[in-house]
Amino acid sequence: MMTRDLLALGPMLITAGGAVVLLLALAVCRSHAFASAWSVLVLAAALAAIPMTWPGAPASGDLLNLLAIDSWALAFWGIIFGSALVVCLLGFEYFRPLAVQAEEFYVLVLLSATGAAVLAAADHFATVFLGLELLSVSLFALAAYRRDQAISIEAGIKYLVLAGTSSALLLFGLALLYFHTASLRLSGLAGPLLAGHPDTIALYAGIALVLVAMGFKLGLAPMHVWTPDVYQGSPAPVSALVGSVSKAGAMAFMVRLAGVTLTGTPGVRNGVFYGLLVLAIASMFTGNLLALRQPNIKRLLAYSSIAHMGYCLLAVLPMAAGAALDRQAVFYYMLAHAVSILGAFGCVCAASENGREAQHVEDYRGLAWRRPVLAGVFSLMLLSLAGIPLTAGFLGKFYVLASGVRNALWLPAVCLVINSGIGLFYYLRVLGTLYQREEAESPDQFATSTAPSALLQPSPQLLLTHLTLAALVVLLIYFGLMPALASLPM
Amino acid sequence: MALALAAEGPIWPLGVYFVLVVVLAAGILAFSYVLGQRHRQQATDVPYESGMTPTGGARLRFPVDFYLVAMFFVIFDLESVFLFVWAVAVRELGWAGYVEVLIFMAVLLAALAYLWRSGALDWRASGSKPAPDKERGQ
Repeated sequence: MMTRDLLALGPMLITAGGAVVLLLALAVCRSHAFASAWSVLVLAAALAAIPMTWPGAPASGDLLNLLAIDSWALAFWGIIFGSALVVCLLGFEYFRPLAVQAEEFYVLVLLSATGAAVLAAADHFATVFLGLELLSVSLFALAAYRRDQAISIEAGIKYLVLAGTSSALLLFGLALLYFHTASLRLSGLAGPLLAGHPDTIALYAGIALVLVAMGFKLGLAPMHVWTPDVYQGSPAPVSALVGSVSKAGAMAFMVRLAGVTLTGTPGVRNGVFYGLLVLAIASMFTGNLLALRQPNIKRLLAYSSIAHMGYCLLAVLPMAAGAALDRQAVFYYMLAHAVSILGAFGCVCAASENGREAQHVEDYRGLAWRRPVLAGVFSLMLLSLAGIPLTAGFLGKFYVLASGVRNALWLPAVCLVINSGIGLFYYLRVLGTLYQREEAESPDQFATSTAPSALLQPSPQLLLTHLTLAALVVLLIYFGLMPALASLPM
Repeated sequence: MALALAAEGPIWPLGVYFVLVVVLAAGILAFSYVLGQRHRQQATDVPYESGMTPTGGARLRFPVDFYLVAMFFVIFDLESVFLFVWAVAVRELGWAGYVEVLIFMAVLLAALAYLWRSGALDWRASGSKPAPDKERGQ
C-alpha cells in the first residue's frame, strides 16, 4: 500500500523535497549556479518519474480521498514540471547580470510547480485550496522578485490583492458547496449524489464562486484585469511561469470541475454551461480586441493568453459527455500554449540586455537583421500562438475547434474562427516589426547607439537561453507535426 | 443532504431591517449635526486638546522587521497547533502518523535554519548599527 502511494505521489514528492533541500543548501552556502542546476535536476527527475507512475491511481483509500492521480493529472504534471524546468533554465541567465539575490527564485519556482501539480490532481476541497495557495503565494513573491524595479513590486501587490480576493471567493464557494452536499469531495457534486435533492441557492452560489475564483487564475474575461499588469511587471521568466504552469494547473482543475458540474442536476448543468460559454466568448473578444494596438510585447502576450484561455474553454464546454477526445483537446491545447508562451517569453529574455527587458514592440524593430536566428524563433512562437499550421498551436486549435464542432457548439466555434482572424492581425503586426529594416538613422544617432553592434553577434553569456529556445522550437515543430501525445488515454 | 439556505418565509423583513439600519445611521449623523455644539478655537484641531503640544511629525521611518517577527510567530505557533492535534491522537495514528509529523517538523526546521542563516532572526537591519535616536522625531 505504502510503496504504491509513494510511487503515485513520486513526482510531487520530488519537487517538494527538492525545494526543502534547496532551502537548506541556501542556508549553508549561496550559489546561483548550484541553485539553478539543482532545480533543473529536481524537475527533470520529477518529469522522469511521471512515466513510472503512469497510469498510477494510488491503491489506498486515504490518498484517493484527497488526490486523483489519474492519467489526466499525470499528463498535466508533465506540462507543469516541463514548463517549470524551462523557466529555471531561462531564469539562470536572466538573473545572472542582475543585482538581486537570485537563489530563492528557484525555490519559489519549485514550490509553485508543486502547488500547480496539487491543483491539477485535486479531488478534494482541501487539496484544491492548498494547491491554489501554494501556487499563488509563490507567485506573489516571484512577481515582485525584481525589487529594484517599482513596476515589479506593483505587479506583486496587484497579484497579491487579486489572488487573495479570488482565494476568499473560492473558500466561500467551497464552504457553500459543503453546506449543500455535506461532502468535501469534488465528486460529491456529481449528479447521482445530488439526485433527489432540490437545488438550493447555496449550491448555485457555491459553484458560481468557485468558477469565478478559477476564472481569476485563468485570466478569463471579466476577471482578467490583473493579467496584463502582472505579465508586464514580473520578470520575463516569471511571466512565462504564470502563462504556463499556473494556467495549466488551473485549467486541469477547471476541467475536473466542469466534468462534475456539467453532469449535475439540470439547474447546475445549465448554469455552469452558460456561465462557461459567456466566459469563453468574452475572453476571446476581450483578449484579442485589447491586444490589437498594444505597444508593449509583454502586455500583448498577456492579452493573447486571455484569448487563448477563452479558446480552450470551447473544449471544456462539452465535458458533460465525458468524451476522451474533448479532454485530449484541452490537454493538447494547454501543451501547445505552454510551449509557445514559454518560447515567446524566452525570446523576450534573450532580447533583453543588462537587466533592461526589451518590452516595447519598437525594441524588436529590425531584430531579424541584427539577430536573425532569434527573430526566426520569435516568429515561430508568434505563428504558433496565431495557430498557423506546422506549429503546435495550430494542432491545439484544430483539436479544440473539432471538439466544438463535433458537439455542435456553433456559437463559440464561430467566435473562435472570428477571433483567430482578429488575432492574426496583432501577431503579424509584431512579425512585421521584426522584419522591418530600421529607419535610416541620422549620423548622430548612429554614433550614439552602440546597441546594434553589440546585438549583432549572439552574446556567449546567453548560451543556455539559446539552447533552451532551440529545444522549444524542436518541441513546437514536433508537436505540430506528430500529435502522438494527443492520443494519450485520458 | 440538502439543507435550505434560508428558512421558508417572506424576505421583506430583511428589506425593512436594511432600511431601518440606514435610517438609524443617517438619523444619528443628522441629529448630532443639528443638535451638536460647534466651536472652533485655537486648540480645537490639535490631537490632545487640553494636553501637551505635539512636537515633530508623525511620519517617522520605522524599521519594518517587526512584521517578520509577527510572521514567524504565526508560522511557528501554527506548528505547535498541529503538534497538539497530533499529540491528542498519537496512539490511533501510530507510526505512520509519527513519521508524518517528523516530516512536518523537518520541513519547518529547514525553514528555520534558512531564516536563521539568511539573517531574518537578526532584528537589526542587516549589517547596520542600531537605529540612531536622532532619526526619531524628525
